[in-house]
Amino acid sequence: MGRQRVGIAAFIWLVGLTGAAGGAQAQENNCVTCHSALGGRLAAPVEAFQRDIHAEKGFGCVACHGGDASIAGMGGMARELGFVGRPRGRQVLDVCGRCHSDADFMRRYNPSLRVDQVTEYATSVHGRRLLELGDTAVATCLSCHPAHNVRPPSDPLSSVHPVNVAATCAACHGDADHMKPYGIPTDQREKYERSVHWAALSEQGDLSAPTCNDCHGNHGATPPGISWVGNVCGQCHSVMADYYEESRHATTFTMLGVPGCATCHQNHEVTRPADDMLGLDEGAVCARCHAPGDRGGETALAMRSMIDSLQAAYHAADSLLGAAENHGMEVSQALFELGGANDALVTARAAVHSFDREIVGAEVTDGLEVAVRAFARGEDAMNELRFRRTGLAVSVVIILALIAGLLLKIREVDYRATVTET
Amino acid sequence: MAETGTPQATSRRRFVDWVLSRTLTTWLLSTSVGGLILAIFYPAGRYLVPPAAAESTAATVTLPFGPNDVPPNSAEIFKFGSRPGILVRTPSGEFRAFSAACTHLACIVQYRDDIGHIWCACHNGHFDLNGRNIQGPPPAPLEQYEVNVRGDQIVVSRGA
Repeated sequence: MGRQRVGIAAFIWLVGLTGAAGGAQAQENNCVTCHSALGGRLAAPVEAFQRDIHAEKGFGCVACHGGDASIAGMGGMARELGFVGRPRGRQVLDVCGRCHSDADFMRRYNPSLRVDQVTEYATSVHGRRLLELGDTAVATCLSCHPAHNVRPPSDPLSSVHPVNVAATCAACHGDADHMKPYGIPTDQREKYERSVHWAALSEQGDLSAPTCNDCHGNHGATPPGISWVGNVCGQCHSVMADYYEESRHATTFTMLGVPGCATCHQNHEVTRPADDMLGLDEGAVCARCHAPGDRGGETALAMRSMIDSLQAAYHAADSLLGAAENHGMEVSQALFELGGANDALVTARAAVHSFDREIVGAEVTDGLEVAVRAFARGEDAMNELRFRRTGLAVSVVIILALIAGLLLKIREVDYRATVTET
Repeated sequence: MAETGTPQATSRRRFVDWVLSRTLTTWLLSTSVGGLILAIFYPAGRYLVPPAAAESTAATVTLPFGPNDVPPNSAEIFKFGSRPGILVRTPSGEFRAFSAACTHLACIVQYRDDIGHIWCACHNGHFDLNGRNIQGPPPAPLEQYEVNVRGDQIVVSRGA
């Protein structure tokens, strides 16, 4: 190890001599020259930085590391030239914030980019631990935007592209050793990747589907508080959030100190909601607190029964009309109108978050009327189909009998003609 | 044998002989009666037992209302095959047509003249006047149709 360091020092001294001798080479980036030649760990940043957004914008090594790249050898890395080496802990905020917190400077490169990242970071759990407690194990800018490989979030290879955010956060939050001092779980990514949000993001390519930073914030990353978790979910699921806010559960859950949405839907493992969640059967979330005898249990059963009845009526009408359409019957108007029952079903499911059977009942009643009407039209179409089929069968039999009769007649005429001739 | 029986018995025997002889096959093939029978039974069979695939939906529809029935900054729902469509007249007077089935859970969308958005009431999904999903749960844009105004008729067609 010691021999290796002597070798590196000798190499840098030699490069320094060469640089001093060649005045014309003073403009070149001596950081790149030396580090490329040194190879291995010391050369890796040179290779990676070529694709970094900062390199694309014309920044070099000294923008973050300080020093003077025009001076060859160790002389360019003198502390008196502002060389900071590898920034650590709080120093990272100063290095990044020097440009990224300067609105005038940033406007020249990206006028739409925010300049409050460092301010927000200071409000995050990460920032507060670093700045107030001096905890250097927490995430800083470089934990999510890896040095020498910083790419914009729109780049699919970026560590902060929506599809990659969960992996980036889990680099620390999925590491049991790293998280041990904080006493927090490490299965968030595992759970998130079983959620409907991850499926939308990774399978359907819906980049607006939420990942870690959409609920926790990115630079101001903090767990949502119990009392305002609904505001986080309500950003997208506003109809359900509005119903919930007006419901008795909102006050009860706050009083009990449990989160709104996550109590029934989980936080990271938000699976696709199903009607099975409603009611008092096994797996129903209402049954965790309510029993058949109490008022809440009765409401849960009533709401489930209403939703089931509309669901059954809708599917019965839809499959009957689908069968009629498949057999060539004209039922497009009935199918068009049946869309109203689907609207009612979707709205009724959202209205469940009011936990009020009258609100759910009003939606279900409207939908049932539409579904029953559509079913009747489907039955009419199928009756008409049966009538046409019977008519076809009868006419085919008549035609076949006619053909058979004609054939026999022809044979008979031919035979008589033959007998007459003989 | 024909000379020894009555004319009726002879006729029956000749008929049975004719049916049993290989001549029947030859006759069917040579006169294409087999093809004729197939031509009768095959369409009837396909009608009685249709393929599982649904009928293709309409590609073009003439709307039951004219351009003057849709003032600027408003919209009308129309029937496109068995599915709903929405004809929007933008505040500048341009006609645009989209599928009216929300890309989230297929609720029927409507036009909000106060904000100039296509809006789904079920989960508060918003689309702009190009059909792009801009707010709320809808995961994809609305399918856009072509609109042609021919005199006092509006014809909407599915894109090629």
